[in-house]
Amino acid sequence: MLLFFVSCFSFILISRSMSCKPLLPMRNRLILSFPIAWGQLSSFFMSFFHRIKLNQVLMMKPLKKMTTGPSQVLQVQDFPGEEKFSLLDLPELTLDCILERLSPAGLCSMAEVCSSMREKCRSDHLWEKHMKQKWNRLIGDAATREWQCQLASRKRPSLCGLDRRNGFKKDLLFRVWPFTWMRPNLECGSNKPRSDFPVDSIMCLYLSLENGKFWFPAQVYNRENGHSGFMLSCYDAHVSYDSRTDTFQARYSSPGRRTVEENIPWDRLRAPPISTPPHELHNSDCLNDLRPGDHIEIQWRKSKEFPYGWWYGVVGHLESCDGNGDHCRCHYSDNVMLEFNQYPFDSRWRRTIINRKEHKEAGTEGNGFYGGIRKLYANEEISTWKGLRPSHVME
Amino acid sequence: MSSSPPPSSAAASPSCPKKMIALRSSDGETFEIEEAAALQSKTLENMIDEDCAGTPIPLPNVTGKILAKVVEFCSKHAEPGVDDESLRAWDAEFVNVEQATVFDYILAANFLEIPTLLNLTCNVVADMIRGKTPDEIRKFFNIKSIFSPEEEEEVRRENHWAFE
Repeated sequence: MLLFFVSCFSFILISRSMSCKPLLPMRNRLILSFPIAWGQLSSFFMSFFHRIKLNQVLMMKPLKKMTTGPSQVLQVQDFPGEEKFSLLDLPELTLDCILERLSPAGLCSMAEVCSSMREKCRSDHLWEKHMKQKWNRLIGDAATREWQCQLASRKRPSLCGLDRRNGFKKDLLFRVWPFTWMRPNLECGSNKPRSDFPVDSIMCLYLSLENGKFWFPAQVYNRENGHSGFMLSCYDAHVSYDSRTDTFQARYSSPGRRTVEENIPWDRLRAPPISTPPHELHNSDCLNDLRPGDHIEIQWRKSKEFPYGWWYGVVGHLESCDGNGDHCRCHYSDNVMLEFNQYPFDSRWRRTIINRKEHKEAGTEGNGFYGGIRKLYANEEISTWKGLRPSHVME
Repeated sequence: MSSSPPPSSAAASPSCPKKMIALRSSDGETFEIEEAAALQSKTLENMIDEDCAGTPIPLPNVTGKILAKVVEFCSKHAEPGVDDESLRAWDAEFVNVEQATVFDYILAANFLEIPTLLNLTCNVVADMIRGKTPDEIRKFFNIKSIFSPEEEEEVRRENHWAFE
């Protein structure tokens, strides 16, 4: 490899020395001044190629300067005419360095500048950083699966009769297509996309989130603007972002009706921490580990046709216990006292007892049904709940 | 500006604070830089390690005009006791130059692998782009867009619904 380069440069030097034109310094040329010893030259090039990720064009470029780019016309400039150096002539690494510093809006603007920028600015590695910075907390497994499902639906050959398929609700059609201008022509059954925009790119996901077209699964704390009936609970919903207000809309599904809430701030949302869907009973695996003082979330639903919400509580002492830490034997008992301190002492919602040996789902149509339990270990989760606690005990 | 190269020492000790390294630009100018400043460039650091420091290091991709400024930058950043705020102000002044010169700095920083200079200059270019429409970007950087009208419309549509 080194011999190849050395012979190339020898050729260039010989051809240059035969030219009548003066040697002018130009940015994208390789200029050698003569009395460098070949030994130094070769060691210089060894370290140069080994260490620098410079665009090879700079070294191997012929003496005529050429602009590059897939749909740009090659413009060959004759030496010695010097033209203005362009941003696009910068080496790849440095262009990346610049693009990495742009906001999403900046990247979108750059993408409209020319074809080569369009390709570069769509690159996943540029958008990954923005996704992580803004959306990492909310876009977890559930949202990712929903997105992939929507992409896969888009690629299916025929979308006629989509609303008749099992498991699909009609409104899913409108959630499948985040881009109105890409909605398929259902009448003629054409499946040819009108654009080659890479819909499976991170850029596409990011923009779909930003413009609110992607409704994704999340959970909302204290739903319906802190309605007392939902205090210290967290319910599943599909949410969509409103970039103008930097808040979210949520759609909750309940039998017979759909509730919509708007202007939900970021701090009242979370990605579902476990994969149990809202209509399924969670398998509690922490029952033997529950002790007074532990923080928990428990599923609760009004009746069997409703989805579960997750409700925050703490493990309390049994009535037989005086609450003295040294003498407390509550954790040996089959019964576990769960306390929901947002309710007054005399409220039926204040406490419930579950059996740690047998607990699956317990309750009545009048009082609702208590389902699976998650023990909370992470301080962040616990302090989030504490931060949502009402300042006063509810009536 | 030229000077005779310093005599090479038997064991080049990086701890010697005043050791000078000679650099030669593409147009034959020679510059001297303190070793501590030169070490900001990974390229130069490697060459110093490989004991090329005895004779002027040829830098065929960097002109004298730019190399002078690069030496100034590295020397400033190697100065002890400069507080962050003063250095930032100095950097801001350093890159307060025309577009073509900023590009020259980028190329030099890339070639010489000077992360601080590369970060600084790339930030400057990103700032130039920030807030501009695609047309304004093209005009500012003298870029000829060779989209067909259909492509141009398509790209505008792709981005338009994102940031209205």
